[in-house]
Amino acid sequence: MRLIWATRGRTWGFQFRRTGGFDDPLPEYEKVFSGLDEPALCRRVGEMVALRFPDPEGRKDAAGRIIPHDFIVFSPTADEIDSLEDGLALVWDEVKDEYAQAWDVPRPPLPQG
Amino acid sequence: MGSGGTLQQEIAVFGESGSGKTVLLSSFYGAAQEPQFVRKSLFRVVADDFGQGARLHQNYLGMKNSAKRPEITRFSATAHSFSIKLKDGDAKNNKGKPFDALRLIWHDYPGEWFEQGVSGPEEAKRRVATFRSLLGSDVALLLVDGQRLLDNSGEEERYLKSLLANVKNALLVLKDDLLEDGQPLVEFPRIWIMALSKADLLPEMNVFNFRDLVIEKAREDLEELRNVLEGLVEVSEALSVGEDFMLLSSAKFEVDKIEVTKRVGLDLILPLAATLPFERLARWHELREVPWKVLDGLLMGAGAFAVMLVGKGRRGGIPVKAPGPIGAVVGILGFTALADALNDAARLGSEKLEEIHSEALAQQHFLTATLAEFRLKLNEAEDERVLIRSFG
Repeated sequence: MRLIWATRGRTWGFQFRRTGGFDDPLPEYEKVFSGLDEPALCRRVGEMVALRFPDPEGRKDAAGRIIPHDFIVFSPTADEIDSLEDGLALVWDEVKDEYAQAWDVPRPPLPQG
Repeated sequence: MGSGGTLQQEIAVFGESGSGKTVLLSSFYGAAQEPQFVRKSLFRVVADDFGQGARLHQNYLGMKNSAKRPEITRFSATAHSFSIKLKDGDAKNNKGKPFDALRLIWHDYPGEWFEQGVSGPEEAKRRVATFRSLLGSDVALLLVDGQRLLDNSGEEERYLKSLLANVKNALLVLKDDLLEDGQPLVEFPRIWIMALSKADLLPEMNVFNFRDLVIEKAREDLEELRNVLEGLVEVSEALSVGEDFMLLSSAKFEVDKIEVTKRVGLDLILPLAATLPFERLARWHELREVPWKVLDGLLMGAGAFAVMLVGKGRRGGIPVKAPGPIGAVVGILGFTALADALNDAARLGSEKLEEIHSEALAQQHFLTATLAEFRLKLNEAEDERVLIRSFG
């Protein structure tokens, strides 16, 4: 599954955990997420889908804020997503184990492509 | 210092992720929109960008009405520009004064920038640009997170050392990018205030306890930070690092509610940004023998400010015929007269300030009244053990 995934851990700060194959995923991320403030959203942008949802297991950072997960989902997975529920079911299943291992370590492993 | 008749001050708030930077900014702006503030204050705080202001206000209302914290700041910084607009009637009374308006620039940015690498070249570029802007301020607040002190209770040095080391290292890593041709910076925050954020979590701690904790547990680390800062700035005698302390609480956070009316220290931010630099300049000149001419860039802003309070130099009283705009002030008055005004203004005690305040109000000189009020507020905060200003 090709994804850009930005999130944070309990103590480590906001960063990309999946880069979607980009050397610098930030410009791509901002094309989609710039100006979007909602805590949960599902938005189709061309062939991609932007997804944001609070951590499904309610995990928080050290300051007590619920951790957000931001994704850009690329085709073909994006074609199967029409709602936040679709997105959450497909994408969270892909990353939840990886996140469970990383969120409470002092330094997370290097991001994947 | 800005152009024309506006005195511009930037405030640099240094703090790690989750230390309360966005909450502080939102609370500062949101509280200034409350009817109680608008009714009793001599000025209004207006966001120069309507959209940015609306977002901060929304953050504030979200905390106040729904116990909702602002969204985490991701990957980019925002410079918020606020105009301090005085009550009607001031413009005509301010004709010919060094400045007739105040502006505050406040940068909000991801605290991760102190703690970890960046995601790629674009974020790296932003981090340097933001740090450059931050370092153009006169006053810096270094946030010490009350929650982290509590988490490390009894071993506070673990957190304090890591905080100070992170700030020091971030500056060292960026040093080459921040200095043009390796030349030390003239414009630089010369006053670094240690500010305890989320002070509501430590209700027993007054500002003296806070100072003692920092000095006891992390004096050497503070010294190391100071050494790094000295390496970045020209005339390093004119530098106060960890000599001033304050308490800050943007709101009282409880499990299911956030009481935004329980604030501490937020009303000191404008007074500190606006008046501390000129107070300190006079002391540096006197006690540390820093020559005025090497501080001329700072003196222009500070001197213009002082003229608003005491008039031109030794004459004292309300300025009636001070020249403006700012750019022309130094040319017309010369440094000596400005330096005199600065010295006089820095020495004003509460009684004299009260006098200036009432007289300025009677004459509808709202800017002069506001500046006097700022100084009085700082004096009060010292009495209430919320602020310690350096004696050096």
